[in-house]
Order: sequence, then structure tokens, then C-alpha cells
Amino acid sequence: MAALRDADFAALQILLKAPSKDAVRQLCQECFSSPPAALGPLAQRACPGLAVSAEEAEQLVTALHNLTRHVVYRGLTSAEDILCLFPEDFHQNLKNLLTKIILENISAWRNEAQASQISLPRLVDMDWRVDIKTSSDSIVRMAVPTCLLQLKIQEDAALCGNNPVVSALTVELSKETLDTMLEGLGRIRDQLSAVANK
Amino acid sequence: MGLLNFTRDPVPEAVSGDMHNLNQLSAQQFSALTELLFRFLTEPKEVERFLTQLSDFATMNKISLGPLKNIVKSILLVPNGALKRNLSSEQVRADFIALGLSEEKASYFAEQWKVNSPTLTRLAVGQTLMINQLIDMEWKFGVTAGSSELEKVGSIFLQLKLVIKKGSQLENVYVELTLPQFYSFLHEMERVKTSLESFS
Repeated sequence: MAALRDADFAALQILLKAPSKDAVRQLCQECFSSPPAALGPLAQRACPGLAVSAEEAEQLVTALHNLTRHVVYRGLTSAEDILCLFPEDFHQNLKNLLTKIILENISAWRNEAQASQISLPRLVDMDWRVDIKTSSDSIVRMAVPTCLLQLKIQEDAALCGNNPVVSALTVELSKETLDTMLEGLGRIRDQLSAVANK
Repeated sequence: MGLLNFTRDPVPEAVSGDMHNLNQLSAQQFSALTELLFRFLTEPKEVERFLTQLSDFATMNKISLGPLKNIVKSILLVPNGALKRNLSSEQVRADFIALGLSEEKASYFAEQWKVNSPTLTRLAVGQTLMINQLIDMEWKFGVTAGSSELEKVGSIFLQLKLVIKKGSQLENVYVELTLPQFYSFLHEMERVKTSLESFS
């Protein structure tokens, strides 16, 4: 997490050349959501709209990315905290506009950051079916209920970018296995309640 | 020989000879042998132990091991077929008599069959094909304190490790769930349990 430098704030002033407040808003959102590697192309797209050189566009986009990410990282929620980040001589109106835009987006951005956190593969969906086994090579006639559980698991979002890989795993559980599993899940629930009640 | 309950295939010729030899055993010897056989049937993995006990039986009763093994092979045909076809003890008794075993010994074996059949049935059901059987589940849950994007997080995560039998190998599957997902999962599993119970 790069700390905000004077050069960043200098670059931010390029926003004064933006055609509208909405354009600034749009750029802020794009800069936050973009991973560092995609900032170059983003700068190229922003160039024409701002009538600046490619180099200046890149500095701006990087500065905006750092600013928005920094606010989300530190969990700043009040206008004062955000205003404090800017240097004394920063353009007053631009500072207020940026603070306003950031406050508007802060909770959506926080959710986005949490959703794209690294994690083990995540459960995205779950389906089940109960079958009755009526016959097999070891017993010609029987009536044994069994459960088929299908888990849809998504690989780590950070690794897959825009194409998350979702795999489906189908598992069979006998009644005994299910009972044991429920016992385990019950214990988890009890421990969670204990933690919540502390 | 009339129609047998335990099999539709023709019985090997050696069987009637083996039954005749069995009839020569005393009641006590037959009872000991039967006990041995059922112990093996209820614990089919204990092959070594079974063979040792068989060999001890042969020595103690002054019978040659070779012929004894053949006799055992013949006897086992009946309980194996009976298990597959859910036969009653009367049917087992009738089959042994039809094969040439004395009424007394056939009744005794059928009685032992009745006693052991719940265990044996459970074993056979357990051997039935299961696809990707869930063997074990381990879990841990904790709190995410922070990340590279968020200095302070404080959200609860739950991680499950499912051990699954794929063919003859075990595979570990790791899954992470959020808290709402966990409660939803628990709820669904309880519905499954109710469904399974209504069919038992």
C-alpha cells in the first residue's frame, strides 16, 4: 500500500481539467476497482477526456488509485478524516468534491475489497437429492436411503480475474455420515453463539 | 436336488461330498466350526486370523487342512447366496438339507444365521457402491483480522475440509463459507436428515 506522496496530490490537481463532476466520479470508481497492473490501459483511456499527456494521465490514475485504496484500507468514514489527508494548499473545491465522491462510494468499495480478499475456494451454491437404493451386486433387494450433495465451489477470485472457475463436486452421504456431519455442524453453531455472546 | 433358494446356478459336484464329510463331525466340532465361520463372515477383513483359526481347528480335530478348506468353501456358498437374496433362516435350513447336510446340523446353522444376519446385512449394504463417498469432515473457523486491502476487517470465516473417497483414493477438498452460508448449509442438511429419516 503506497503511502500518499506530494507528487500524488500534485497529479490529482489534473482533475481540474475534467469535463464534469460525473467524469471525476467515474474515474474515481474505475481507479479504485482497477488492479495496479491495469492502471496503464486505464490511463490511456482517460487521456483524451482530460486533454493531458499520457505520462500525466498515468500519474493521475495512479494517484487516484492510491488515494481511494488508502481511504478504504484505513477504514476512514468521516469527512474530516478524509479532508485531513490533503495538503494545505490543495484546491479547495476539488478537495471537497473528491471527499464527497469517496464518502458516497466508501461502503461499496469496502464490500468490493472484502469480496476480492484471498481465501480458500468458496462455496457458491449447494443442492441435494435423496435417493433410495433398491438393489446392488451385494444385495439383490434393499431400500436404503442415501443423500447426494452437490457443492459448487469457486476458486480464489484473485487468481481467476474475471473468469472465476466454478467446479461442481458431488458427494454421497449415508445416513450415518450425515448424522455425524450434523453433529459437527451443530458444534460449530454452538461455538459461534458462544463467541457472539461474549 | 430340487430348486435351491440361495442360488440359481448349478452347484459344484464336490459340494455333496463335502456335506457328507461335515455330517461325520460331532455336534461339538460342527458348532466350533460354525462359530469360526460366522466370526469370519462378520469380519471379512480378518483373513489371516480366519486361516490361522481354521488351521488350529484342523490340528485339534485331527483333520487335514486341505479337505477342511474345501468343506469350508462349500459351506460358505450358502450364507453368501442367502445374504444376497435376503433369505430367511428356514430357507437356509432347507437349502443345507437339500445339499445333503443332516437336519440337526442344518437347523443349527440356520439358527446361527438368524442371529448373525442383521450384522451381515448391514455389512453387505455398507459394501454397496457409493460415489465420492464423504469419509470425514474437519473444520475451523476464525476471524479475519486484516488484509492487504483493509487494515481492520473483523469478519468471521468458516473453513471445511472434506475428505472424499474417489475410487480407491482419498481426496481433500477445502471450502470456505461465510456465516450466512454456514447457517443456510446447516438448515439444508437438517432438511436432508428429515427426508432420510422419513424413508428409513
